[in-house]
Amino acid sequence: MTSIRPTGKRPTGMRPTGRAAGFVAIVATAALALSACSGGGGAAAPAAELSDEPVTLRFTWWGNDVRTANTQAVIDAFEAENPNITIEPQFADWNGYWDKLATETAANDSPDIIQMDEKYLSTYSGRGALLDLTTTGDNLDLSGFSKASLDLGTSEDALYGIPVGLTTYAVMVNPTILETAGIEIPDDKAWTWDELEEAGAAVTAAGGGNVFGVQSWGFEEGGLNNWARQHDDALYNDAGEVVIKAETLTSWWEYMLSLTEAGVSPSASATTERQAAGLAESFLATNTAGFATGWASQLTALQEASGAPLELLRIPITDDASTGSAYYKPSMYWSVSARTEHPAEAAVFLDYLVNSEEAADLLGTDRGVPANDDIRAYLTPNLPESGKQVVEFLDGLTEDVGDAPALTPAGGSAIEAIVKQYTEQVLFKQATPEQAAEGFIKDLKAAIAAG
Amino acid sequence: MSALGELRSIGTKKVKGGSKAKTENKAAYLFLLPWFLGLGVITVGPMLASLYLSFTKYTLLSPPEFIGIDNFIRMIGDERLHNSLGVTFMYVFVSVPVQLGLALALAVVLNRGLSGLSFYRSVFYLPSLLGSSVAIAVLWKQVFGGQGLVNVLLGFFGIEGRGWISDPSTALSTLIILNVWTFGAPMVIFLAGLRQIPQMYLEAAEVDGATKWQRFFRVVLPLLTPIIFFNLVLQIIHAFQSFTQAFIISGGTGGPADSTLFYTLYLYNRGFANFDMGYAAAMAWFLLVIIGIFTAINFWASKYWVFYDD
Repeated sequence: MTSIRPTGKRPTGMRPTGRAAGFVAIVATAALALSACSGGGGAAAPAAELSDEPVTLRFTWWGNDVRTANTQAVIDAFEAENPNITIEPQFADWNGYWDKLATETAANDSPDIIQMDEKYLSTYSGRGALLDLTTTGDNLDLSGFSKASLDLGTSEDALYGIPVGLTTYAVMVNPTILETAGIEIPDDKAWTWDELEEAGAAVTAAGGGNVFGVQSWGFEEGGLNNWARQHDDALYNDAGEVVIKAETLTSWWEYMLSLTEAGVSPSASATTERQAAGLAESFLATNTAGFATGWASQLTALQEASGAPLELLRIPITDDASTGSAYYKPSMYWSVSARTEHPAEAAVFLDYLVNSEEAADLLGTDRGVPANDDIRAYLTPNLPESGKQVVEFLDGLTEDVGDAPALTPAGGSAIEAIVKQYTEQVLFKQATPEQAAEGFIKDLKAAIAAG
Repeated sequence: MSALGELRSIGTKKVKGGSKAKTENKAAYLFLLPWFLGLGVITVGPMLASLYLSFTKYTLLSPPEFIGIDNFIRMIGDERLHNSLGVTFMYVFVSVPVQLGLALALAVVLNRGLSGLSFYRSVFYLPSLLGSSVAIAVLWKQVFGGQGLVNVLLGFFGIEGRGWISDPSTALSTLIILNVWTFGAPMVIFLAGLRQIPQMYLEAAEVDGATKWQRFFRVVLPLLTPIIFFNLVLQIIHAFQSFTQAFIISGGTGGPADSTLFYTLYLYNRGFANFDMGYAAAMAWFLLVIIGIFTAINFWASKYWVFYDD
């Protein structure tokens, strides 16, 4: 019979201090690699004044239904404590979020508080769209954050984003589907891409055409970043130039294509359709794939959507294993629009989001494991099962995690559309992996030059 | 003719140069003022601004920086732009003739004196009102999706469907069908044109022994050519500017694999997703030139096939 190995799970007597130390160490290294600038904290700029009048702030985020519900709960709790501040929520699925934000920003009608992604941070901050959060004075207490983690959102001495949480790229597995297929959950300590393909083939074979082995993942740069790191390569260098080699990209797409052709992954057409429909319609979320890649922080939402006890596995490695391919990424940032009329109130709300234990209880790990050390220490013992899984998974990686990749340069947010376009061309056989690699590099360089 | 007569009399008054005429002109301009304001503020102003922006590097959040014709030079080497032109031409040159053919055929059928004409006319006109709306695009996405209505219908006949919208070889066809489906507007115009054809011509042709087909091709069609020409010009311009349907159906990306990347959609993506607004403005002006060229060709060619009965 199939035994379900509790992957990466530790006995419940945990060591929060060790864990916290691990995170701090990693974030510190990452920040050193990322930023030559010195830290944010305590600025001398005049602090914004709080108003007694009623104030309305617009707050925007991307995410799924789970996030919408828990964020709304936090807003309600905040409004109860601050009766003169009204928070107007505005949320969208990832696919529509950036179009909307860009349009609003261009029209000078940006929301006051913005959930920001690493890919877009330089794009927005470099163009003066974001407020330097060190100018908000005492309203925003950042003492719970290490200087290293704040540096992840700092550029030229200005703090443009507070890292909300940390996450990492992972494989998610549906144990129920694997059990039906009669295979065990692979040991992820040193598993290879070939083993993923084998396990996936077994799932597809047992799936009767409805269930597939591995959900295709060529639609975001997280998987590509990991693959590049395993091949001693990287998308960008510290100067913000595109340096990835064509061979790396070619091998990435060749692997993806071989999975699709072998039926381990669903057909190109089905993949495209599900991808466009969003996370809740993905194969993993609808219990039609055994494995999928994604950000560890998405586990809670995917468990909720699928109703299956999904687990996290490490990303497989190549045969000539190189370590340090995993990395921690700030799952997202809190930013404030540079054109907000109420910087002080916006800071009060951010303060509540990042420092309040009540907010932490409501939000859980849906936005990643909190980057605020105090809140992480508070939250970890109180987490529901899926949240504990995420914390434990990230913690278990500590020894293997390398420096964070270089920050995405301004204009680099176009990478998502570029990756998607060439993955589709490869899967539909309109381009060979070699042609796609060449086109990808050319397009990404052009986007950054224009940015 | 009476309106024309009035215009003439206004003209003569003006020639006489009476002070009364000047006051009348002033009043006219005053009444036109809201329109002039709208034209200036909403149309001409932004157009001039966009013309200037097309010669700049403008990232929306920092001030534009003049770079001469660099944007236009970049367009020459931009393969996605060339691809988007291909997609747009395909869309325009397939959907417009099919749409007009269908509109004409239905107009002729409806013109045969069906009872309940106004009901059918409204029903067929309805898609034109809805066709470019977001709701219909969303509906279309469902109808042609992997689990959609089309595949369910095909399933009844034992044909295995596919994800029509998620497959690059069929995605554009679904958009073409959507555009053809909005044949109602040209149909109503054709119907009005058919009503204008003097009955005596047809009676005379019938007396001369012309068959039904001969009457249609020798009498009706030539008299209808000005209407066909009008619809053709309008629909070509309209199709070149299509945006909403492709934006919704492809989720704003023009996918899969750029197969529905309309020129306007690419323009939008450059401007708003890549913050490359100067380039987007340059693309907009190039689109104006393209539409201008096709309209000019249309007008030039019209000398050879459009018949004005006067």
